[in-house]
Amino acid sequence: MIFLILIYAFIFLINVPGLIKRKEWRELTAFSILYVIAFTLGLMYVLDIPIPSPMKGLQHLIVDILGIEYPQG
Amino acid sequence: MGKKMKIILKCLLFFFMLMTLSGCLSAREINDLEIVVGIGVDKDEEPGKILLTAQVVKDTAGRASENGSEGDGKAFWNVSSRGNSVFDAVRQITYKTGNRLFISHNKAVIFGYDIAAEGLEEYIDYFLRAHEMRPTALILVAEGRASDILNIKPEIEKFPAFNIAKLVDSYVFTSNFYKVNMKEFASCLMSDTSAQMAPLVSIAQDEESNDIYMSGMVVFKRGKMVGKLTHDEVRGLLWVLGKVTSGVIIVPSPNGQGKAVLEIIKAKSKVTPEIKDGKIVIHIKIKEESSLSEQTTTENLADNKALEKIQEALAEAIRREIMLTFDKSRELDADIFGFGEMLHKKYSKEWKYIKDNWDEIYPTLDLIIDVEARIIKTDLLKKPAVPSEGEK
Amino acid sequence: MSIEKGTISSQQLLFLMAGFVQGSVLLIDFTVGITEHQTWMVILAGLAIAAPVVFSYVVLAKRFPGMNLVQINDMVYGRFLGKAISIYYIFFFMMTLSFNIRDVGELYITFLMPDTPFIFLLIVFTATCAYAVTKGIEVLARVSHLFVVTGMLVITSTFTLLTSQMDFSNFLPLFELPFIRMFQGIHIVSAIPFGETVAFLMIMGCLNKTEHAVKSTFFGLLIGAVSLLIVAVRNTAVLGRTQAIWTAPSFQTIRLIDIGTVLTRMDFLIGIAQTILIFLKCSILFYVLAVALSHLLGLKSYLPLVLPIAGIEVIIAATVFQSPVDHAMITQNAGIIYSAPLIFIFPPLSLLIANIRGLPKNGKG
Repeated sequence: MIFLILIYAFIFLINVPGLIKRKEWRELTAFSILYVIAFTLGLMYVLDIPIPSPMKGLQHLIVDILGIEYPQG
Repeated sequence: MGKKMKIILKCLLFFFMLMTLSGCLSAREINDLEIVVGIGVDKDEEPGKILLTAQVVKDTAGRASENGSEGDGKAFWNVSSRGNSVFDAVRQITYKTGNRLFISHNKAVIFGYDIAAEGLEEYIDYFLRAHEMRPTALILVAEGRASDILNIKPEIEKFPAFNIAKLVDSYVFTSNFYKVNMKEFASCLMSDTSAQMAPLVSIAQDEESNDIYMSGMVVFKRGKMVGKLTHDEVRGLLWVLGKVTSGVIIVPSPNGQGKAVLEIIKAKSKVTPEIKDGKIVIHIKIKEESSLSEQTTTENLADNKALEKIQEALAEAIRREIMLTFDKSRELDADIFGFGEMLHKKYSKEWKYIKDNWDEIYPTLDLIIDVEARIIKTDLLKKPAVPSEGEK
Repeated sequence: MSIEKGTISSQQLLFLMAGFVQGSVLLIDFTVGITEHQTWMVILAGLAIAAPVVFSYVVLAKRFPGMNLVQINDMVYGRFLGKAISIYYIFFFMMTLSFNIRDVGELYITFLMPDTPFIFLLIVFTATCAYAVTKGIEVLARVSHLFVVTGMLVITSTFTLLTSQMDFSNFLPLFELPFIRMFQGIHIVSAIPFGETVAFLMIMGCLNKTEHAVKSTFFGLLIGAVSLLIVAVRNTAVLGRTQAIWTAPSFQTIRLIDIGTVLTRMDFLIGIAQTILIFLKCSILFYVLAVALSHLLGLKSYLPLVLPIAGIEVIIAATVFQSPVDHAMITQNAGIIYSAPLIFIFPPLSLLIANIRGLPKNGKG
């Protein structure tokens, strides 16, 4: 969606030129990695690709595998 | 490059925010709203369907100034629809109104007699769950069809629903029925033992016009209507609940001729349940203050001895009202006083065993009523205007 | 070596903490489904349990002045284990932040603006938090005064306006509910409003003077707890049995305010107060997350990370649960179980190990 592109272009423009000018390469790498993750997630959301929920995984781990659960009701 | 770029970016950002933040997607302009002030639910002729009547405010401001008169004189419009459920019917009303109903201002929900008899639990959920409904909305039962009640045009108020709300609020004057809002009704429904109540609205048919009036209360058990309470029976209930605010009590005057009429000024009640030797006893203590407002006898009642006798008669009358109500509730086997919940709060361990058999236990309850009635003033007369024989 | 150049005073710490706990006011509404009319007891018990735990946080922070959680972990557990634990914490901050953002979205979607697309609410809210975070902790600390006072005002005024509708017999019978439910309730309350203050371990490094840290933390926690208690008592007294069926009891309670036909329809008031308080909580969590992550990666400043993190958080918040029901069910079970080690075990353990190993050694850090 257009919003997605706009927002991420905006984020890019705010952060990157400053980082490059100040030669903060480490920050730039960290930023890029997170940026790519965020953009991918956003894209998946917009394209209706189901995103796995970490909590569902945790819930599965804790309740089904470890068997710890509060009784319902 | 850096500074200019920043300024451009900031401008873009502001522009973007201006576009997106200055509105509200759910905004509905006032003239697009169909403001509902009253809702009525009845059973439809088709089985399984309900007839929903919504009283919508008509925007007559523009029209009145054009015509100079108010057209057919109604400032409201009762629009109805049929549906398989309450929410279904609410949405189907859009076929007739062209807009969704705005029920945030709804003052009262009136259920028809037939629906109340069948059981409200199927129909009450929407009114609690809908996010526009407020828990302060009143709930009533019509002695007949709710749509008829909503059609009666009141003399003073502009909208029948406002009129009904006003009538319900008038309970403070007579203490012959009381106000039930959605939250209280839901609270009673949730209880295992209490019987729910709602005021009953009826139409008095005179020769010229139909007026609505509050004719008592309706008793439900688990959502199904099981009986009615008359005005006096309701007052007996209100004595116990401590909700009596004002009203009229008539007792025979001490000399046996005529009546003494008293106005209740204040009443307090204290109810203590007690389990003694396997029997449940409810101690009720009523403290009441009233004033002598009218007497139909010529004897001067404004002296201490006479007042004492009247106070005794008064206490006896109150006791009788309470027992009358209790007997009626025993007959209906409905715990309208909430004794069950009081027991629950005090004896929570025993309650676990009692509550399953409450229907059998309730009629066996013993009431010990202790009334303290005081007459604290006699209004503006010291002696009656018509002197009695002994004084002439 | 510290990323944050700002410092905060003890009083600001107090208000930050109070506001943080107050931000969980709506959480009490979710606990009511489990503890019904005994919620007030659960809050007091949760406070009693959380107090010593939070005390351990402060003592730990005082022992390592000027250092934050990531640095402390590195020192106490060594580089590898320390980093692993810090990653666990970062995951926790990330998920908690997304839960809270989602909470705000759910609040609006259920009550105030049901037609607005969920994701827009999340984006706007998160963007505002991100902006606040870029300004630094000092700014947050300064506004926390205002937010806490506003929150207290709203809570106490709604309480007073409703006294006529309160029925204190609704609190009886005491001790009716089975103990397991109380235990779960106590776990939830000690973990979520109070336990999440473990995030402050990232902030206490910025205190300019650590003498009054314990007092400030304690009073901040107390103010927050009192706010929660007032809300719980108000809701139970007014709604009685129906408390357990509404999605958000606080809202319904406020809707019942009806004084003189003038003071009605005040639910927007609690909406505003709640939004402000959750905003403070989210901003703090966001800040903590950004600083922790940037420390872990060895960056000089956390600023570049803010916006991407915001983007990630928005999507997580939008997708992690399917509905408020899902949210409640999972947080009340798995949510508090996975966070329990972080809140209850690691900080006291760190303190213990630091004591044994005699950390921090002079000349280090």
